[in-house]
Amino acid sequence: MAEPPDQGHRWWRLGEQERFMLLLLLPAATVLVLFQIVPILLGANASFRDWTLFSPKKTWIGLQHYAYVLTDPSFLRVVLPNTFLLMVLSVSLSLGLGLALAHYLDRRFAGRWLIQTIILLPQMIAPVIAAMMMRWSFNDQFGVVAAFIDWLGLGSIAWLAQRWPSFCIIVFTDVWIWTPWFALILLARLRSLPREPFEAARIDAAGPWRTFTHVTLPMLRPVIGVCVLIRSIDAFRTFDVVWILTGGGPARSTEVFSIYTYMEAFVNLDFGRGSAAAIIGAGIILVVAGLMYKAVNRGADVSR
Amino acid sequence: MAQVVLEKLNKRYGQVHAVIDVDLVIEREEFVVLVGPSGCGKSTTLRMIAGLEDVSAGVIRIGERVVNRLPPKDRDIAMVFQNYALYQHMTVFDNLAFGLRNRKVTEVDIKREVARAAAILGIEPLLGRKPRQLSGGQQQRVALGRCIVRHPQVFLFDEPLSNLDAKLRAQMRLELKRLRERVPATSIYVTHDQVEAMTLGDRVVVMRDGRVQQAGTPLEIYNQPRNRFVAGFIGAPAMNFVEVTLESGTDGLYASAPDFRIRVPDERGVALMRVGARVATLGVRPEHVVFGASQHGTGFDGVVEVTEQLGAELLVGVRAAGTTLLASRIDPETRLAPHQPLHLSLNPRGVHFFDAATEDAIR
Amino acid sequence: MSAPALPVETPRGWAGALAPGGRRALLLLATLAILLLFLGPIVILVVTSLRPGWAVYYIYRGTDFTLQNFVEVLATESVTRAFVNSFVLATLATLFSIAVTVSSGYMLSRFTGPIPRTWFGTIYLFRTVPYISWVLPLYLVCYELGIYDSYAGILLPHIAVHICFFSWIMKGFFDGIDPSMEYAALIDGCSRWGAFLRVALPSAVPAIAALGILSWLYTWNEFLFALILTGHNTALITVTMAQFVTELGTQWNLMSAMAVLAMGPAILITVFAQSYVIRGLRI
Repeated sequence: MAEPPDQGHRWWRLGEQERFMLLLLLPAATVLVLFQIVPILLGANASFRDWTLFSPKKTWIGLQHYAYVLTDPSFLRVVLPNTFLLMVLSVSLSLGLGLALAHYLDRRFAGRWLIQTIILLPQMIAPVIAAMMMRWSFNDQFGVVAAFIDWLGLGSIAWLAQRWPSFCIIVFTDVWIWTPWFALILLARLRSLPREPFEAARIDAAGPWRTFTHVTLPMLRPVIGVCVLIRSIDAFRTFDVVWILTGGGPARSTEVFSIYTYMEAFVNLDFGRGSAAAIIGAGIILVVAGLMYKAVNRGADVSR
Repeated sequence: MAQVVLEKLNKRYGQVHAVIDVDLVIEREEFVVLVGPSGCGKSTTLRMIAGLEDVSAGVIRIGERVVNRLPPKDRDIAMVFQNYALYQHMTVFDNLAFGLRNRKVTEVDIKREVARAAAILGIEPLLGRKPRQLSGGQQQRVALGRCIVRHPQVFLFDEPLSNLDAKLRAQMRLELKRLRERVPATSIYVTHDQVEAMTLGDRVVVMRDGRVQQAGTPLEIYNQPRNRFVAGFIGAPAMNFVEVTLESGTDGLYASAPDFRIRVPDERGVALMRVGARVATLGVRPEHVVFGASQHGTGFDGVVEVTEQLGAELLVGVRAAGTTLLASRIDPETRLAPHQPLHLSLNPRGVHFFDAATEDAIR
Repeated sequence: MSAPALPVETPRGWAGALAPGGRRALLLLATLAILLLFLGPIVILVVTSLRPGWAVYYIYRGTDFTLQNFVEVLATESVTRAFVNSFVLATLATLFSIAVTVSSGYMLSRFTGPIPRTWFGTIYLFRTVPYISWVLPLYLVCYELGIYDSYAGILLPHIAVHICFFSWIMKGFFDGIDPSMEYAALIDGCSRWGAFLRVALPSAVPAIAALGILSWLYTWNEFLFALILTGHNTALITVTMAQFVTELGTQWNLMSAMAVLAMGPAILITVFAQSYVIRGLRI
C-alpha cells in the first residue's frame, strides 16, 4: 500500500520523498519532543538528583532514590500489588462482562438504540464523575447502596473506610467504565464472524457453552488479545478513579503506582524521588507490555 | 439411511416468497441434486431440511419422522458447507471427533470411526494438522469426513465445490463419486453449476424462483425438458431458441422464421396440431445443428459469424433464422471464413417446441 | 451463493443453541441487570442534583425536587469560569491535535522505510509511558518556561498526549483509503502536498470527525494533567469538581449538579452523534 522507497537508505541523499515525509512529521514531532520526550528525559535526570522543592540543590546522588523506592515496604507490599491487582481484576472482569454484553447486543430487538446509548455513557463521562457517582452511591451514611443493604437487614459496611471494601469499589468503578469499551469492540468483531462454523456446530450438537468455547472464542482471540494489551497498559496508570474514591487511603492502603508517585512529588515535595518512582513505573509497564505483546502476537496466528 | 419427503414446502421472508410449494421425494440412498440460478430457493430448501431455517408451511419428513420442529442436531443429518466451516483452531482429528464428543460417544469408538473415515478419504496423514495448514481440496475432504464419522441418515451439501478452482473442482467431483461407491447415502446436493448436477446426480431437480421446474434423471432432463427454462439451463453450450410461426404445408407442418423454413418432424407435429399452436419457440441443442443437407426437410441456409476452436471440436456461430445459432461438435479441422455461406440442417431428434406464451414444452 | 441475501436474523454465537423459553428469560434478566448497573449510578446522581440541600441525605425518599442547585452552581464564578476554560481548551486541543497528527498518520500509512519505522517505534514506545511519569517533569518544564497555569501550559501538553495515540489511529484511517486516487492525482500533475490535502484528506473526513468528537470529550474529561498543570487562572471543571468532593465533601447536592452539567456534553454527544462515537471507539 505504501510507495516503494526509491533511495530510502541513504541519509545524506535526502530525496524528495524523504523531505516530504519529514515535513509531514515536523509539527507532531516538534510537539512530541518538546512536551513529552524532553520532559521525560528531564525527569530521568531529576531522578538521579537530590531535588526537593524547598532545597533544590540538584546534586547528583546516583541511584539513591531508586534504592529508596525499590526497598520502600509500602511500595513493594502495597502499591505494586494494588496496581497489578487492579490491572488484572479490572481487565479480566471487563473482558468477561464485555463478552457477555457483546453477545447480548448481537441481535435485533426493540429498544436496542436505547440500550446502546445507556451502555455508551460510562465511557463518555469523565472518570472523575464516575468515581464521584460511586463514592456517593456507596456513602455509608446516605448512599443508596447503604440504604438498600440496610433495607435487606444486612447491617452496614463502611465501604470507603477500610482497605478491601474500598478497593472493591475502585475495581467496580473501573469495570463499570471499561466494560462498554470491550463490549463495543467485541460486538463489531462478533458481527463480522462467518455464519457457517456456527451452523456446523449446531448440526454437531454443540451446546451453547461448547459453541462459545470452541467456535466463538477462538475466532475472537486476536481482538481480545489486542484489547487486553491496550487496556492493561492503561489500567496500570489509573489515577483519576482512585484519587476521587479514596485518594489512596485509608492510610495509603489503596494507593496505586500513579498515586504513590504523585504523593512523593507533590505532597512530600521530593521531585527527585518522585521522578525515580515515575521512571521505575514506566520501566515496569514497558516490560509487562513487551511480554504481553509477544504473547498476543504468538496467539494471533492461530485463528482466522 | 432414510428417505426424505418434502410436502408442499414453503418459505416466506416477510413479503418475499422464497420457496413455493415444493414437493419432492428423495429415495433411500439416492443422490439428488438441486440446481438453479442464484435466488431460486435451492439453498433455502436445503437449509430447511437441515433445520437451519424455519419452515413457513409444509412438512419435512426424514425417515418416518416429521422433523419440522426438531433442531438440527436431532435430525440425524450431516452437512458440508461451501466454506468448509471447519473449526480452525482444532486439529483435523478433533474436527472429526467434535460431533461425536458432543454426543457422548466413547473415545474408543471415536478413534475407530475417525480412523475409518480418514482411511476412506485418504486423509490419515493430516489428522494432526490444523485446517489452515491444509489446501482447499484437503479441507473439503475433512469436511466430508466430519459427515461420514457420524453415520447420519442424510447427507446435505451446500455448494461444496464452489470455492475451488476449476481443475480442483473436476477432481473433487470424481472423489465424490468414488466416495459414493464406498458410502452410499441419501444425499441432497445444492449447486448452481449444471455440470456438477448432471455428473453427480441420480436425479436432478431444477429450480427457479422458488419452484421446482422439473425433477428427473440427468438424461430425462436433458432430452425431455419440461419447459424452456430447463431446456436452456441444462446443457452447455446452451440450447438455441428460434421464434417460429407454424403453418400447414403439403406434407405436414412447417415452422418458419426469416430465411428459414423447415418441416416439423412427425411426432412433434402431431403434438403441435393437437394444441393448435400458430406460433412457438423452437429449441435445438448445438450438437443437433449439423452441416450439410438433410433428408428430413430440416435444412436451411446460414452465414458464418464466429468460430471458437476448442481443439476437440469447433463451435460455430451461424447467422440464420434471424438470430445466431450455435453449432457444436464440428470437425476442428474444418476451415471456415467469416461471412461464408453454409447449408445446415437440424437433427429431427433434437428439435423441441415450447409454447410461446407459457414456455412449456409441447410434446 | 450458499445462503440467500435476505434479511434473516440467524443468531451467531451460542444463542442459537438455547431453547427459546430459556433464552427469553435470560435476556430479560440481562436487560434488567444492564439498566440497573449502567443507568443506576447516573440516575442516582441526577436525582441527587435535583434534591434540595436538606433532603439530599434521603434522596430515595421524599418528592421534593428543585433546580436551585443548578442555579447556585452556575452563579458561582469559579465554576462558570472552569466550564468556559474547559470548553476552550477542549476545542483548541482537538483542532490542533487533529491538524498535527493527520499528517504524521498519513506519512505512516503511505510510506515505508527507516523514517516511518522510527516514528512508528517512537510512537509505540511513548504510548506506554504512564502519564504521571511525564506530567511530573512537565510541571517543572512549564514552570521554567513560565507557562505554568496558562493556556499554553495546558494546551500543548494535551496535544502532546494525543500525538502518539492519534497518529496511530490516523494511520489506520489512511490505510483504509485506496492510494490509487493519490497516484492518479500525482500523475495528473498534483504535488505531493496537493495529493494529500485535496485527495486523501477529504476521504478521511468522516473518520477524522469521529476521532475529533472523542478527542474533545477526552480533553473535557481529563483530570491528571489538569490537576498538576493548572492552578487558579486556568481552572478546569474536572479539578474544580474534585476539589468539591475531596475538600468540602458535604454539599453533595451542589456537587452532583455540577457533575450533571459536566456530563452534559457527553450525554448530548452520545445521543446525537452515536455513530461517530462508536466508529471512533473501535480503536
